[in-house]
Formats: sequence, structure tokens, C-alpha cells
Amino acid sequence: MRNFTIRQIIAGVAILLLLIVFPLVVSQSFNVHVMILVFMFGMLGVAWNIMGGYAGMFSFGQAAFFGIGAYTSSYLLIAYGINPWIGLVAGGCAAAVVAAVIGYPCSNLRGHYFAIASIAFAEIVRIVFNNWQMVGAAEGLSLPMQNESFANFLFNSSKLPYYYIMLAFLLVSLAVSYFIATSKMGYYFRAIRESHKIAEVMGVNVVLYRLMAIMISAFLSAMAGTFYAQYILYIDPGSVMLLATSVQIVLISMLGGAGSIMGPVIGAAILIPASEYTRVALGYKGTGMDMLIYGLLITLISMYYPEGVWKLFSRLGRKLK
Amino acid sequence: MASKNCIRVLSVAVSLLLILVFSVSAKSEQKVIKIGAVYPLTGNIASTGLDCKRGVDLAVDIINGKYDLDLPLAKSAGLPNLGGAKIEIVYADTKGDPKNGMSEAERLITSEKVVAMIGAYQSAVTKTASQITERLRIPYVCSDSSSPTLTERGFKYFFRVSPHDDIFARDQFQFLKDLEKKTGQAVHNVAVLYENTEFGSNAGKAYRKYASEFGYKVVADIAYPANATDVTSEVGKLIVSKPDVLMHASYITDAILFTRTFKEMGFQPKGIMTMAGYIEPGYLAAIKADGNYIIVRSTFALDLAKKKPLVAKVNELFRKKYGMDMSENAARSFMAPFVLAEAINRAKSTAPEAIVKALQDTDIPGNETIYPWKGIKFDPLSHQNIYARGTLVQILNQEYVTIWPFDSASKSVVWPFPAWKGRK
Repeated sequence: MRNFTIRQIIAGVAILLLLIVFPLVVSQSFNVHVMILVFMFGMLGVAWNIMGGYAGMFSFGQAAFFGIGAYTSSYLLIAYGINPWIGLVAGGCAAAVVAAVIGYPCSNLRGHYFAIASIAFAEIVRIVFNNWQMVGAAEGLSLPMQNESFANFLFNSSKLPYYYIMLAFLLVSLAVSYFIATSKMGYYFRAIRESHKIAEVMGVNVVLYRLMAIMISAFLSAMAGTFYAQYILYIDPGSVMLLATSVQIVLISMLGGAGSIMGPVIGAAILIPASEYTRVALGYKGTGMDMLIYGLLITLISMYYPEGVWKLFSRLGRKLK
Repeated sequence: MASKNCIRVLSVAVSLLLILVFSVSAKSEQKVIKIGAVYPLTGNIASTGLDCKRGVDLAVDIINGKYDLDLPLAKSAGLPNLGGAKIEIVYADTKGDPKNGMSEAERLITSEKVVAMIGAYQSAVTKTASQITERLRIPYVCSDSSSPTLTERGFKYFFRVSPHDDIFARDQFQFLKDLEKKTGQAVHNVAVLYENTEFGSNAGKAYRKYASEFGYKVVADIAYPANATDVTSEVGKLIVSKPDVLMHASYITDAILFTRTFKEMGFQPKGIMTMAGYIEPGYLAAIKADGNYIIVRSTFALDLAKKKPLVAKVNELFRKKYGMDMSENAARSFMAPFVLAEAINRAKSTAPEAIVKALQDTDIPGNETIYPWKGIKFDPLSHQNIYARGTLVQILNQEYVTIWPFDSASKSVVWPFPAWKGRK
């Protein structure tokens, strides 16, 4: 890929600094909460983008990986007292293993068929968790309110640590995404996206690289899941494994710009505040006005920026050169 | 080309601006006590959330105005001990998502400066919302969520006025015992049927627990998904197990589906006792006379007015304001603002610690509620209202009629369940 110019690097650092200072100057904690959600859905979008944007596998089942991450770390903590940071890695690995097990038999599925299979997979996972007594079944899991500390991944008095941890997670996932996009792997993914046959002819191991894309994506989604569990402190299949969440992840990535590194983050930065602030301003009336405005925004973006809002920003980026 | 780009940017920017404009709402400068309320006001159970909101709004009218009613603070305008201060409810929409329950509760407390919280309806949302109030040390009075786990957490700031599913389940077995004592009709075994989300599976657990405690044999134990579209196999299993009584915890669509299937397949136990779905306003509208003789748990029924004139007076106000009768949901949510306002008035302060202390001493007599209870008094540890109990209503002539406790009953129960065939 391209190298960054000094001006672009300065712009990037400036944005990062702004994000670091943001929660220190903003007084209302709700605004910080909205930014945390932006980072979280940004990360889920980046994870989706690795398999959906680069490798062309349109997954509508990301909530399953998200949920598996949330459940693994929470269950390990509740049942065995295992530290959630270890649970974070364990959840990522569990999701990656599940992704490999389900991804292998699906290696021949393309396009719509892959999308349909991913919905079926995620719904099966949700139904299993809904009936699995060991993990609380439909009642879900309530995480214990331990002492707050970085080691416990738990903070009561302030949202700031959650904010910075999620920002760091997002940066990690962006780094992974950037690394993939600029490495040999990224080219293989894109070759697979364009055509399985051509990729195979060129000597790309399609099955292996598809599996790798799914597993990396699952791992990152599960990390976000663990974060969600530690942040909200209560999970049940009805809140972490919903099809609606999977759809939202796809929506964010597509509107932001699938296939670009920053696209999903920009998508999250537009859609999450839009839905949160309209709900706050109008939701209490119970008229559904907020959903109308949110829908209008999505319609306008898809009419005028069918390739994602990213296009607009990348033009700005080029001007910085 | 440039102008086209301009239009694109503009139209997206305008819709973003629209959002901003709506976000900046005018704030009133009146001296009021703000209480936060979270309910699912949009989304798939919005109708229930709005029903709860009606109950809360009417309660606030009564507290703030002068009414000749036997309810706490009804006769005075506002809170007399705080110079007639008025209660204002600040609503927030959860869309039924626990994540929103948490963030909205926090926003109401930190940005809107509410001094206490009520609401949520769905137990999963109440769970996350009350975790925040516990962290931020703000009192939370809940009168509409029924999961037993809510008051098993040992929270200091969480209080529940209404009965939970465990109490409801126990009541149903108590009814069977009372019935046997009164009429000599013995019941030996029961079948337990429940939908498999948090609500249903907890109710199922409670049914099993009390069946063994009261000495009934469980001959069938069946869970099913609430969005099932065909339940013939479940009803088939029920018929084969030949229970004396069916105990069913359901939401509304499955309640409708099961009732139709019971009739089609001729499932004929001595009694059908149910929770939740069978008392939603939409149930009888869909099922009409086929709902007759089914027994539902409730906290409220309009025929309580026969023994309690207060119920009729409140319902009259409700009719005047909304043009409809008060539903069970509205009646449950109705009480939380009174409990809070009464405690704040007694505390003479809006400091959270003072309110919590006052709530611990709450002792509202039964005649100042619209339920057939002995009153409202919280258990010192769990903060569950120790007098909260359910009533049982039976659908007779397509109306909900209180039949138990026998001393509050307005008609006597029709038992056993009349055969489907002989009916019109």
C-alpha cells in the first residue's frame, strides 16, 4: 500500500490526541458512554471488514462471536475466578476455534449462501446459549461487583478507564487490519473476494486463507464481547447474541466503507451517536420519531455515498498530501 | 460536479443537524423533584411500556394535585414537607435493551439530576439499570419487574413493591390447597409449561420448587420458545401426561397459540392456571370466548372495586385521562411514584441516603393501595415488599374476575374447567 506523508501522520496524531483529551474535558458521562460505544462498534466493524470487506465473506453472524467472547470470560470469572484479562484471550481463542469448526464446512459457500449460513449459525449459537443451564440459560450471567482495579478489568467510580481500554482495543484492531491490508495476506484475501477460481489458479490456498480471515475476525469480535461484559456487568443471549446486533455491524461497515481500513470506524462514528442522541432527544415520547430520523440518515448515506462515507474522507486525506 | 458534491454533503449534514436541534431541549426552571423512569417506549414491546407510563403519569397527577382519594399524598398538592414541591418524571426509552437501561439510568442521574429511579418493566433491563443506581447510590423503586433474582442480590438501594414470580407461583399452589379445603376437590398432579427466556424459565423453576413443597407430582415439564408457530407436539405431550392442572408461564402470542391448540386437540385438565400473557390487553381481543375459565395470576383487577371503592375512583380518573380502563401493567407501575414520594416527604430531603432510610421505614397501610394487600413494607435485607401477593383472576364471560384470595373474590371460581365441546 501507500506510505504516509508527514502531514497525514500529523493529522492522525492530532485526532488521537483529541480522542485522548475528549473525556477529560467533557463533563457529562453519557457523552463518554456514546464514545465507548463508537469505539466498540468501530472495532466490531473493523473485525467484520477483515472477512467481509477484504475476503468478501458477508457475515451476518458476528453477534455469535461477540457473544462467545462475552460468555467465555464471564463464565470463567464466575465459575473459576479466572481473571477477565485471561478470559479475554480465552474468549478470543474460543471464538476462533468455533469459527474454524463452522468455517471449514462452509468453505465452498459464496455470496448470498455464505450470508444465509452465517445467520443460521448465529441463531443456532443463540438458541444453544438460551437453553444451556451451565451458563445461566435465558437468565444470563450477572458479573460480581468486585473491587475496581485495572487487574480486575472493573471500574465503578469512573468511565475513563473503560474509555481508554476500548480506545486501545480499537487501535489494536486497526493495526491488525492495516497489517493485513498491506501484507501478502491482504492481497490473497482480495484475490479470493474477486474470484475463488482465479485465486486458486494463482496458487492461493483458498480454504486456508478464508479460514484465517474468519478466525481473526472472530477473535477481535470476541475481545469486544469480553469488554461489553465487563462494562455492562450483565449478559444474556437476548442482549449479546441478537441478529439485530449482527445487522448493525454490517450496516456500520457498509455505510462507512467496506474494504477500507478506516471505513467501519467512520461508519460507527456517524451511526452510533445518531441513534443514541436521537433516542435521548425523542425516544421518551414513544412516537418512534428517532427511528425515522435514523432511517432517513441511513437512506441518504446509501443514496449519495453507495461506496461508503469513507470516500469523502479519503479525498480529504489526499488533499493533505 | 462541485455543486452536486455540495448537495450530497449538505443533505447528510442537514439530517445530522436535525438530530442536534432535537437534542437540545429547553429546560424548565421550576422547583421540582425529578424522578427518572426507564421504559421500553419504542420497539417490540412498546405497547406495554406505554401502558406502564400511563399508570405512572396518573400517579404523578394525583401526587401533584389535590384529590379526595385514600392514596398517599393525594389530598395535598405536592409534597407538604418540602413546601409543596412537585414531582416530575423524566422518561427515557430503553427499546428493551439492557445496555440502554444502563446508559439511560446513568444519564438521567448524572445529566438530568434525578434523585431516584423507577421502572424498566423487563427484568433484564431492570438488572442493568439498578446496577448503575447501586453504583451511584441512588434509590430505585421498582413495581413492574417480576424476576425473583432482582431482590436476591442484596442491593442497598433497590426496593420492589410488587410481587415476583416466585410469589405468584407459590400463590397458585396455595390456591389449589385452599380449593381442596373449601370444596373437597383434590388435585394430585400438575403439568408445568413455560416459554424459555428469563421470565418463563424462572417461573418454571419456581413451579417445580413449590410443586414438591406442596406435595404435588409434576407429570410433565415442558419448555418451548416463545415465538413458536406450532405447538401441537407440546400439547400432545400434555394430553398424554394427563395432568389434573396445567401451570403455564407465557407471553402473549404463545398464550393465544396454546389456547387455540388446547381447544383444537381437546386438552381437558381440571384447571388451567397461567401467568402474564393471558392477562395482556391483546389476549382476549384475539381469543374471545375461548379464553373463558382460564385462571391468570394478577396484582389487580377492576372488580376489586366491589370491596375497594378506591379502585373504582382511580379507574374513573384513568378513563377520563386516557379513554380506556386501567390495565394490570398500568396498575402495577402506578404505585412506585407514591412509594417514593411518600418516602421523600417523610425524609424531608431529597438526599439519596435520607430517601433510602425513609424507604426502609415505609409502612403504607393496605387501604392506601389499589391492590388487595395488607400494605407496603420492605424486608430489611432483600427490600422486597413483604405484604406483596398475587391474586388470581378467572376469565368469565370474557372478563377478568377476581376469584382468589377467597376473601377478596367477587365471584366464586368455576372448577373444574368446563369441557370445550359443550360450549357455544
